[in-house]
Amino acid sequence: MVAQPSRSDQRELVRERIFTAAGVTAAVALVTTIVLFLLELFIASRASRAAFGLPFLWRSEWNPVTEKFGALPMIVGTLITGFGALLISTPFALGIAIFLADYADRKLAEPIKYLIGLLGGLPSVIFGLWGLFVLVPIVSKFEVWFGKLVGSEALVASGTTGVGLLAAILLLAIMILPFSASLILESLLVVPTELKEGALALGATKWDTIQNVELPYVQKSTVGALVLSLGRALGETMAVTMVIGNGMKMPTTLFDPANTLASAIANQFLEATSPVYVGSLIQLALILFVIAIIINIMARVILRRGVQQ
Amino acid sequence: MTPRKLKNSVMGFLVAASAALLIAVLVVIVWHIFISGVKYLNWNFFTKAPAPMGESGGGVFNAIVGTFLITLVAAAIGTPFGMFAGIYVAEHRGRRFADVVRLCADALQGVPSIVIGIFGYTFLVVRFRSYSALSASVALAFMFVPTTTRVTEEVLNLVPSGLKEAAYALGARQSSVVWNVSIKTAAAGITSGLLTSMARIAGETAPLLFTAFGSRYVEWNMLRPMSALPLQIFIYAGSPYPALQQQAWSAAFVLVLLILLLQYSAKHLIARVLRVKA
Repeated sequence: MVAQPSRSDQRELVRERIFTAAGVTAAVALVTTIVLFLLELFIASRASRAAFGLPFLWRSEWNPVTEKFGALPMIVGTLITGFGALLISTPFALGIAIFLADYADRKLAEPIKYLIGLLGGLPSVIFGLWGLFVLVPIVSKFEVWFGKLVGSEALVASGTTGVGLLAAILLLAIMILPFSASLILESLLVVPTELKEGALALGATKWDTIQNVELPYVQKSTVGALVLSLGRALGETMAVTMVIGNGMKMPTTLFDPANTLASAIANQFLEATSPVYVGSLIQLALILFVIAIIINIMARVILRRGVQQ
Repeated sequence: MTPRKLKNSVMGFLVAASAALLIAVLVVIVWHIFISGVKYLNWNFFTKAPAPMGESGGGVFNAIVGTFLITLVAAAIGTPFGMFAGIYVAEHRGRRFADVVRLCADALQGVPSIVIGIFGYTFLVVRFRSYSALSASVALAFMFVPTTTRVTEEVLNLVPSGLKEAAYALGARQSSVVWNVSIKTAAAGITSGLLTSMARIAGETAPLLFTAFGSRYVEWNMLRPMSALPLQIFIYAGSPYPALQQQAWSAAFVLVLLILLLQYSAKHLIARVLRVKA
């Protein structure tokens, strides 16, 4: 005789089904979100595509008055600030990570790690506030000094503000530093001790060991960490918005006011009234979204390979 | 000294110097926030809405209320999605779709905050024809879900498989193993992850710009425009009035305190709960 399922068994079965359904629903919702973002941004930016088509990507005029829009100045601004910040912060990030992994003892390393976490957790708008009132005046002084040095009156004249690409690059470099340093540190900490000890036993100095054993070992994950940091820098919004100066023209020097994709949206979206202007700004968001997704997936794939190796 | 040894010392110095530089930068930033923030703090700052244009005084009570409401509602919307997605990924480890979900969560974590703001605008504000705190919460929930998913998954992976296998051996179903064994063991870790995610979204500005929009009044209705601390900092920082710029610093100080508090409770309170249980 087959036992009839008891009532509590049935209740458990129902609970099991609901539970499974909830998990699948949430998982599917997460994947759908990316498609939803793409669709929504694509549809909302159609006015811009109707007016400018594909040349939107490489036209260098951005003029809200005549309603002619091209994304090139923002794309250039995004790439310059992103790579500039990465270039400045990477040596320091490597140095900090190596210091924490190999030089500092626990008593010193723990508080520093805590501070890095603190710096990484500060909101972007607070970096922007600090940048605007502390960093920008310093950049402004430097600009005037530099202008006098090379004998350029234009630089001295524009140096009164200090907002522009250089301020944005410096601020971004500070902002991504804790992020890339802690990612690199994570991969340095998994280098097998036997490898290091082997090198030391052969008479290598500490730095020989780091250079020839540790760094080659973490090469892939370091590249992954840097790509991830680049992604952060490219999409960083508030801090950059507050110090980059909302320039509409193609920048010609590092001191020029400019815009990144993100800062152009933050600076101008609420002023935009015509459908073409709004659509063009949303188109910028779409470009930024696609770049961010590609860079992030790329970085994760590199990181995963680094770990598997 | 051989060149090799010289190089060893020089690099050791450089590495230590870069760490020192980081600490110096951090100290300078925190110092500015603290000094400039504390100077202008007073009772009115916490209890009053912004003064009408041209009048002195006033505070950011409206923004403090807004930050709490918007963050809490965002967490309430995001938690079930994030947790269940995390459970799904942890329970189906190794399957292709679980990998896809994990990759999507990672990718979503990297979506710039301004894009989330624009999405919130086109997806909600345009449809409902009004700026509202609720649309800001939904936008922030899109940032909250992927982090929660990843944290939940990571914590669940730490649950000893022996515990789960013992429960399965007793004839328990998957749902009850997850609820009664995994979640209970990992509760502290998950709560800590939720608090960390909240600390992260509490400081976000860009998703609020075109959704919550900001308001000069103390607003409790989630369907109306509302201010928040990050939003207030951004607006005041760009204002030409020194009095408002000073309030931006004070608001920054309060926001940092709030975020530190959330992070601190995430780290330590939870650790204590764990110890008491054990």
